[in-house]
Amino acid sequence: MKSKLFTAVFILFASTLILVATSGFKPSQGKPWPVPDKNAKMANPVKSSATSIAEGKALWVKHCQSCHGKTGKGDGTKAASLKTEPGNFVTPAFQKQSDGTLFYKVSEGREDMPSFKKKIPDTEEIWSLVVYMRTLK
Amino acid sequence: MTKFKKYLQFMMLPASICLFLLLSIGTMAQDSTAVPSKKPVKNTFESNWVLDNQSVMVPIKGTLEMDMQHRFGTVRNGFKDFYGIYAPSNIRIGFSYVPMEKLQFGFGFTKERLQLDLNAKYAILKQTKGGIPVSITYFVNTVIETTPDKDNLIYVTGGDRMSYFHQLIIASKITDKISLQVSPSISHYNNVEGVLDADGIVQRNMKNDHVAIAFMGRYKVSDKMNVLINYDQPITQHPGLKKNTNPNPNLSVGVEFVTSAHAFQLIFGNYQGITPQSNNYFNHNAPFKYTTADGTEMKGGMFLIGFNITRLWNL
Repeated sequence: MKSKLFTAVFILFASTLILVATSGFKPSQGKPWPVPDKNAKMANPVKSSATSIAEGKALWVKHCQSCHGKTGKGDGTKAASLKTEPGNFVTPAFQKQSDGTLFYKVSEGREDMPSFKKKIPDTEEIWSLVVYMRTLK
Repeated sequence: MTKFKKYLQFMMLPASICLFLLLSIGTMAQDSTAVPSKKPVKNTFESNWVLDNQSVMVPIKGTLEMDMQHRFGTVRNGFKDFYGIYAPSNIRIGFSYVPMEKLQFGFGFTKERLQLDLNAKYAILKQTKGGIPVSITYFVNTVIETTPDKDNLIYVTGGDRMSYFHQLIIASKITDKISLQVSPSISHYNNVEGVLDADGIVQRNMKNDHVAIAFMGRYKVSDKMNVLINYDQPITQHPGLKKNTNPNPNLSVGVEFVTSAHAFQLIFGNYQGITPQSNNYFNHNAPFKYTTADGTEMKGGMFLIGFNITRLWNL
């Protein structure tokens, strides 16, 4: 009788633990990130060139690489400690987003993803970063 | 002519050449075919600090910075104190904030002589692509020594605790990888040590003002890592009634690692002070062996390990 009770308590405890582990700390992968239409439709004023890619890459290495990884696969050194899934920028699903959408997400941020509009106040630089993100294919 | 004066004259020649090169290369290095832009050149240096000196950079508006700086003892004792790691060290904790574009205010606490420093930095001129060849920033620092002195044995009046530092910082980003900086400065101490001369009259061992010049360079190894070099040359010669009075030059090299919110600099140099006037006025660690004006043989190689860590927040 005692062992049955112990087994029942153990199963209850283990189930609770699994439930907590899979719900409370679930990364917010796939959670919709609505972007206002006018932002999504904004065209990138910075043309893709060796200069803009180099400028975007320098910003990527300094500000993004630690979470999103060297090649944008979401495998940066900090990625494991994030609650928010950093995403895989190499996938077609990511790359089909408009430049305006990427600009908005970098500028505004959400959850673990910080807002960069104060840290990178020059909008042209954020557009250069978007240009670089297009090379992560 | 003493060996030291010869050495000083020897150093003034490369110093003048460096200043001339900075101003001329800064103009020449800019692509003549590039369309002049009013946008300032960015990241000439990537932190407020270049090893032992301030860089030309004033961070963007709304930046709050915390500085953690540490200087160990000299490496000369080897294993005895594990190359200065176990020797008495100097520490500074500082904060700065940029309330408006181009202007920064800061304060800090340094272990050596319990110094409280209050400083300001203003970007007078910013280098532009194909336009202005150099960036110029003015830095001012006031220090109050808060060492307890109940019987006024060290400081007779409150003003004796004060010292001031003014520096004009001129820098140019020559290429994406190379930046150079030259920083003439003047330090002023209200209180200087008095010594008795041969007639028993008290004389100042050092002048109240001290002029110096610093040269710095950065080579960008990658987007995250830079190699830094810094040289400080004292210019003022003090009366020096006591032997070994005049401060020594400082040579420091280091590596810098930069991330979104941090800069980490590992330093190998001579300065054990951290506040600039203290370094320029009191440096007893000589990088090279030489003979002073009073005939003292200075030991060279008095280097020590240190680091600067900065943490940034954008408010």
